[in-house]
Amino acid sequence: MVNGYAPASLQEALELRAKYDVVPYAGGTDLMVENRPGVTYLFLHRVPELRQITVDGDYIRIGAAVTFTEALADERVPQLMKEAVSRIAAPAIRNAGTFGGNLGNGSAKADSVLIEFVADARLRLVSLNGERIVDVDKFYLGRKRLDLRNDELIAEILLPKTGLERFSYEKVGGRNALAISRVSFAGVFGMENGRITNVAAAFGAVADTVLRYKDIEAMLIGKTFEEAKALKAGYLKAYADRMVLTRGRVSAEYRKNVCMNLLSDFLAKFGI
Amino acid sequence: MDGIRFILNGTPVVYDGSAADRLLDVLRDIFRCTSVKCGCKEGECGACSVLMDGVLYNSCCVAMGAVEGASVVTMEGFRESERFAVLEKAFGEVSAVQCGFCIPGMVLAAEALLSRNPHPTEDEIREGLSGNLCRCTGYNAIVNAVGIAAKEGDGLW
Amino acid sequence: MDRISQSVVKKDHLPKMSGRSVYVADYPTEGILFGKLLHGKVARAKVLGVDVPELPEGYFYVDAKDVPGDNNVNIVLDDTPVYCRETVEYIGEPIAMLCGPDEKVVEQLRDACVVHYEELEPVLDFRTAAEAFFDYHFGHGDVDKAFAEADKVYDEEFETGYQEQAYLETQGMMAVPEESGRMFVHGSAQCAYYVHGAVMRVLGCGPTGVHILQDVTGGGFGGKEAFPSILACQVAVAAHKCQKPVRCVFDRREDMEYTSKRHPSLCHYRVAVKDGKVTAMDIDVKFNAGAYSTLSAVVLQRGIIASPGIYNVPNLRVHGSAVKTNTSPCGAYRGFGAPQTFFAVEMMMDHIARDLGMDSLTFKAAHLVRQGDPTSTCGKYHFPVPIPAMIDEVDAACDYRMKRERYARPQTGRFRRGIGMSMYFHGAGFTGSGERDLIKAVAKLRKYADGTVEILASNGEIGQGVRTTFPKIVANELNLPLEKVYYDHPDTARVPDSGPTVASRSLMVVGELLRRAAIKLREQWIDGQEQEVEERFREPDFVIPFYIDKFQGDAYPTYAWAVNAIEVEVDTYTGITKILGAYGSFDVGTPIDYNVVLGQMEGGFLQGIGYASIEKMDYDAKGRIRNNSFSDYLIPTTKDVPNLKCMLHVEKYPDGPYGAKGAGELPLVGAPGAYVEAMEQALGGVKLHHAPFTAEDTLAVIAKEGL
Repeated sequence: MVNGYAPASLQEALELRAKYDVVPYAGGTDLMVENRPGVTYLFLHRVPELRQITVDGDYIRIGAAVTFTEALADERVPQLMKEAVSRIAAPAIRNAGTFGGNLGNGSAKADSVLIEFVADARLRLVSLNGERIVDVDKFYLGRKRLDLRNDELIAEILLPKTGLERFSYEKVGGRNALAISRVSFAGVFGMENGRITNVAAAFGAVADTVLRYKDIEAMLIGKTFEEAKALKAGYLKAYADRMVLTRGRVSAEYRKNVCMNLLSDFLAKFGI
Repeated sequence: MDGIRFILNGTPVVYDGSAADRLLDVLRDIFRCTSVKCGCKEGECGACSVLMDGVLYNSCCVAMGAVEGASVVTMEGFRESERFAVLEKAFGEVSAVQCGFCIPGMVLAAEALLSRNPHPTEDEIREGLSGNLCRCTGYNAIVNAVGIAAKEGDGLW
Repeated sequence: MDRISQSVVKKDHLPKMSGRSVYVADYPTEGILFGKLLHGKVARAKVLGVDVPELPEGYFYVDAKDVPGDNNVNIVLDDTPVYCRETVEYIGEPIAMLCGPDEKVVEQLRDACVVHYEELEPVLDFRTAAEAFFDYHFGHGDVDKAFAEADKVYDEEFETGYQEQAYLETQGMMAVPEESGRMFVHGSAQCAYYVHGAVMRVLGCGPTGVHILQDVTGGGFGGKEAFPSILACQVAVAAHKCQKPVRCVFDRREDMEYTSKRHPSLCHYRVAVKDGKVTAMDIDVKFNAGAYSTLSAVVLQRGIIASPGIYNVPNLRVHGSAVKTNTSPCGAYRGFGAPQTFFAVEMMMDHIARDLGMDSLTFKAAHLVRQGDPTSTCGKYHFPVPIPAMIDEVDAACDYRMKRERYARPQTGRFRRGIGMSMYFHGAGFTGSGERDLIKAVAKLRKYADGTVEILASNGEIGQGVRTTFPKIVANELNLPLEKVYYDHPDTARVPDSGPTVASRSLMVVGELLRRAAIKLREQWIDGQEQEVEERFREPDFVIPFYIDKFQGDAYPTYAWAVNAIEVEVDTYTGITKILGAYGSFDVGTPIDYNVVLGQMEGGFLQGIGYASIEKMDYDAKGRIRNNSFSDYLIPTTKDVPNLKCMLHVEKYPDGPYGAKGAGELPLVGAPGAYVEAMEQALGGVKLHHAPFTAEDTLAVIAKEGL
């Protein structure tokens, strides 16, 4: 075809990716809005290796070309991820949009990416030279800047199999459907033997990349409820001081306000 | 180089242009399927909705390369079906069509919904049509029409 | 329900449903040239010159120099140029049109044009804008005395923003030079004869030198009242130069950014209250007209006439102005100036009531106008005012009074609720004597030998149902089956000028002409013969003549009435408001088709709720509108107001067909008042002064008030 390749296997896709100047195309929902002139696409929808959801010892592995609709229908996909992707745009966009595309677009507004951040997801990147596994927060270098080489493709998103059961998710958009996130928040909580094991909090759509501060989270790790409650004010202040948000269609002040409210509510929800 | 082969409303066709072209433009300009409306070219209004292998897509957000081998249905094809006849009657009964511009896309969204869920609740109908903007009706009549069609067309979906 | 009210399947249902209807963008492209406008990129500048790239054969550059007649578009005044004069006055002003057979090439050529500007200081703040296109004063009574004697004086200012019509089909026009030398222009429009007059003048030809066809039109809402005249002139000039058909269809961003919208407003109210009653209002209304005057005169007139609301105000002083700024010209949008002032007066009355320790509904009810009372312009409410009964209907539908009382109690927790109500009218038909002095509508019926009857009129089907309701009226009078009567899209070559498709007038005014014409035809009916009858507008006898210079007399023969209630739940963490229910009782007289009218009410009400809540559009420090796409300018989806309940209350108007009054605009007008009043209650009784009231506004209030 003219201005495009539609490989039937991952091997073929990687060869084309290495050989030509192509833009990987999964769902098209962002690329076609951008509509770059003279672009040549590498269509990935026919690559079976990218279209499956599998589970192994540690991870639920979601192929990069799996659509949001497909994920919503799969019982192995964690509820937290489903909450987020079920609120993306509308059915037609969820039918086309993919996990790999959401990552590859490089936007901090990507709703599935927020969950990957809070879940400590890892990405499997592949090329003809082999593969590497990177943490999702390392993959994002800045606004629209990704740690993805010109010969690489995103193959899979690796979500931890356990530990995502207790969560808080909020999407703040401009309306109830067809809404781009103005603020999104995800929190994951874990407790064992009376001590906090996880208090991950991630903020989407408020800065160049999804924000997560593991050092602030560490303030509460290993603490009891009572200890955490005593630390809550300091913990919230640490976030408030750290978060420098960008303005978009809504002001930075609004975003900050919402982030702090949702963060505080997240702790409250789990008894802190 | 080979053209892009796909099925359009049941007929095999070939597109010789760029794989990066929009399905929307190709349907309208090359294949004269003008029921497929252009409302925004950004995936934000649903007026260009089509079915590809039975699944609802915004044709403005589909590059031709992604269409190869697929079966595309637009209103030009769907209007020949029994399901359309049921939807048509239901929409007519409650006067759900005003300016009409959103309607072909809206009806295909309804078809996509009913083929997955033949007896949707009102909330499910609203969710199923949530990517299709209508500025005229306030949506009530459209939602009612889809509910009526589901009932009247029991067994068709 | 009257027989005429019983719903039928709309005449245009099947072609639209099946996707067979041909909108202007759907015509075959063979042999036509695509036109793309070169828009100015600065708010105000002298255009020193344009470097046009070398044009391939068959491509054209069209600008003001190519206008054979007058380079001014006839709207109310003639200040809008077809293509810019020496200056551009707003971002987006058309400088030229590039035309050619390949759309992409035309776009590239357009984008390759380099415009040289000498930038001038733009006027962007309409609060301080010095130049008023229009300035009106009117009133009655002794306002100064009332203020001097008042127990208390209230002084507040209210602001509303832009609203974009957001019809699903963007603006589009096509001009085709005919062999006879006549210019044929067709496209998406509400008012074929407005376009006709405008194109004639620009081409410098007589009335038979052009004809205009309204194509199937994908929504208007006022946005296709005047703007299509401008675009039609541009394509007509291009087609004249190229001597080929030229079509220009806007893309969404172009349409949202550069075409006319609802005027942003600033309404300053001073109100005198004595013994718990309003004794005087001193009102200053200012509309941001944008760079050219287009329809601002008439939009402002309707706005200021409505400014005291539906309340008896014994002493009244009103000043209205429409000021020039270097921004996109504003124009018609469903409600036409009234949504702005009704918002202001409803909030004002609510604030006074609460200050007096009363609920706003009780206070408003004590001031309601009644049949026989004078209007703001010293005309008369000739017919019963059904508002009290409609308040009860809305109350019954949503337990308004009970909820209003409950939500007034202190609330805590993340989610807080409120309910608010607005009450208002929409003056039916043109303001003042326009119908009698300017429009002078003529409608005809043509009966063919086979007994079918064609309606000849110029009112365009834009979704509101005239292709169905007009034939229903005629068929009813002639006792014919509906299939025997038809109404096609108007072509000015073959239909008389029954006036524009605006002001909620088509059904009430032209519908009545058709009813009378049908009676005439019935009386003359001869089987097997071709016959034609004509009817002309006659002002009803009871109307007190209106004088626009004094703003005195009956501005409208009658009024459509409405009561709206909106119930909200505010998320105090995010500012997001969930609309629990929206309830409206609407009196548009006899519905000529129940479903058609209900559809108008539901659609208009939802547009109003969007205007009140999420539809925010503004320009930046350079005068550029950034909310120019459906992802940045949000209109309601199926999921935003699932519980939208509209009820019809029927107060028949004897001079409308079977008692029908104007319908189209009414449902939009009152939503901001009801919504923002509900928000006030959810936010602990704070006083609010602007719409749209967004999530961001909500959170700012919560932060400020410490809620």
